[in-house]
Amino acid sequence: MLNGFKNPGRIALIGAKSEIGLAIVSQLPEDKSREVILVGRSGEYALDVTDRAARERVVEAIFDKGDLDLAIIAVGVLGNNPEKSDTENLVDAMGVNYLGTVHLLALIAERMKIQAHGTILIISSFAQVRPRDDNFAYGSTKAGLDFYARGLAAKLHGSGVKIKILRPGFVKSKMTAGMAIAPFSITTEECAQYGVRAISSKKVVTWAPSILKYVAMVIATMPPAIFRKISQR
Amino acid sequence: MQINSPQLTSGWGNNFHSLSSRAAASTVEQIQELVSTSKSVRGLLPIGLHRSYGDSALNSGGTLIDLAAFNGISIDMQSRTAVVGAGVTVAALERAALEKSLFPPVVPGTGFVTMGGAIAADIHGKSHHRTGSFSQCVRRITLMLASGGIVNLTPNDPEFWATVGGLGLTGVVIEIEIELHALQSNSVDVIEHRVKNLSEMIELLNRSDNDYEHTVAWIDLSGDYRGRGVVSLGNYGSTPVKAKESESTGPSLPSLAGKNFITPLTVSAFNEIWYRKPLKDGAVALTKYMHPLDGISHWNRIYGDTGFLQYQFVIDIGKEEIFDRLFRGLRDLKAASFLGVLKKFGNASQAPLSFPRSGWTLTLDYSMAVPGLEQFLRGFDEELVAAGGRVYLIKDSRVSPELIPLMYPQINQWRDIRRTMDPTGLWQSDQARRLHLC
Repeated sequence: MLNGFKNPGRIALIGAKSEIGLAIVSQLPEDKSREVILVGRSGEYALDVTDRAARERVVEAIFDKGDLDLAIIAVGVLGNNPEKSDTENLVDAMGVNYLGTVHLLALIAERMKIQAHGTILIISSFAQVRPRDDNFAYGSTKAGLDFYARGLAAKLHGSGVKIKILRPGFVKSKMTAGMAIAPFSITTEECAQYGVRAISSKKVVTWAPSILKYVAMVIATMPPAIFRKISQR
Repeated sequence: MQINSPQLTSGWGNNFHSLSSRAAASTVEQIQELVSTSKSVRGLLPIGLHRSYGDSALNSGGTLIDLAAFNGISIDMQSRTAVVGAGVTVAALERAALEKSLFPPVVPGTGFVTMGGAIAADIHGKSHHRTGSFSQCVRRITLMLASGGIVNLTPNDPEFWATVGGLGLTGVVIEIEIELHALQSNSVDVIEHRVKNLSEMIELLNRSDNDYEHTVAWIDLSGDYRGRGVVSLGNYGSTPVKAKESESTGPSLPSLAGKNFITPLTVSAFNEIWYRKPLKDGAVALTKYMHPLDGISHWNRIYGDTGFLQYQFVIDIGKEEIFDRLFRGLRDLKAASFLGVLKKFGNASQAPLSFPRSGWTLTLDYSMAVPGLEQFLRGFDEELVAAGGRVYLIKDSRVSPELIPLMYPQINQWRDIRRTMDPTGLWQSDQARRLHLC
């Protein structure tokens, strides 16, 4: 349960190795008695995100032991393994970023609806704003997740359950190591600050950094010829 | 039996917003119907007027049973006892008893507490050093169990003591039988003394307990945090006074646009005026003396949308040095409290979860928005536990669950009895979940 300061007593991070996820958890107000459930490839709550039965089993197991105040779903792959074809990479990204994450989101939301409280944070991306030659496959998986999450957030209005979407731009992390750094890039720690803010925000969507909200408006409405030019930079 | 669709509910501190259904029961059969048809895994919780400060009377995802319709009062002059419904308020019982020159021996600082709530919290008042807590004047509790069965519990039953202080988690109190005190008049003879610091206050309270039925001290925890204040001492009086008898109290504090008006500046100014106010010496109406804040309804709105917490703890006699550490910490935090209250408790009741026990109890109010308050209180709780103290659960909204067995060492005994009364876990509350009580 949340305490009177609105700080969570029991949280789950799905994606135990996610740098952004871990940074968000470590930036929450300190509380020794908080139970933090780490869902990763091993441990008590081991999960292969692409395994449907495993997703159901793990979510059951978490809620059977008590109320969950906050779930951070921070699993995702870029789908850029050079040893695989574009199509194979697309299927990998779809399996984790869309199918796995959306299913987890729906399962957790269902359980939170019964307890009539709880917040789920999902990590979307700036890449879902507009398809770009080098990452539209990844972007499409995030666009699908983002779309579903917005719909679910609206549907759950008044249920006590809140869905929050974090849309980071370029985050300097292990996931993006070796990639050319894009404008408005931020560190993992900075991204996590926006994540913490997103959890208690009244708005569904939080951009990281905030200026990306306006950058996205410009990008989304830009004539194709200009967009092609700047995205090939 | 109509169950209203889920709506947000808060305790008096307005710091939790919990979504739950509500059913107003007006007969025992209706409660039995709720019990037998409850399919929700989130269970049921009997409630009163939501004067508990935190989440004791909240049950997110579950159903609250409103017992306001159980408002019967019958007073037997011969035995000086009253049989009252769970929804009867302390104020209503006082009014009925006063007509017969009787009065409940234990009343809290507000009259807006129901009999069910008084049992659930085992409330105390200014007379604790003489009378003990509320349960000491209760002869019988009629309780509905999770099975729907109804039992009459007396102080000889362990289930009686599990229900006293049991936070509504053992069943639905339907009715209680309570002893009343015989009065000579409707007044209290009050004498107030101004004291310059905490040690003077403690010394005066120590000296006065033998001579006065009601003792309490208002303490100024702002400015220099030396603990100056006003000690108020009273005995049941013999001179009748005019008293307002109407149900409605004075003005209601309007919603102040959700803004918090409690800042170190406003608190210091208010406390200065309070400290300098003319001291009482003479007869005061009993109800006015017992419930000073009931004159303004919705006074909790002064803390705005973020809400506030009330921190009340008890510490053994001889451990007073903990106050110095607390005051120093609060001064460093620039946390000013509006109306701190210090009281010396008498003996504990035998209820495993009852709060009052022999020692000093201090009560402080703080806006949730005071920076650093959460971490500070967490640290102070550890010192409190190390010194053998505990916090009052009906007012809590933030204690760490692992401290509960240290503060309430008999909790396992309570859990065992509770389990026999409610094997399937029908009675649930947000606080029970937060603090892993059951």
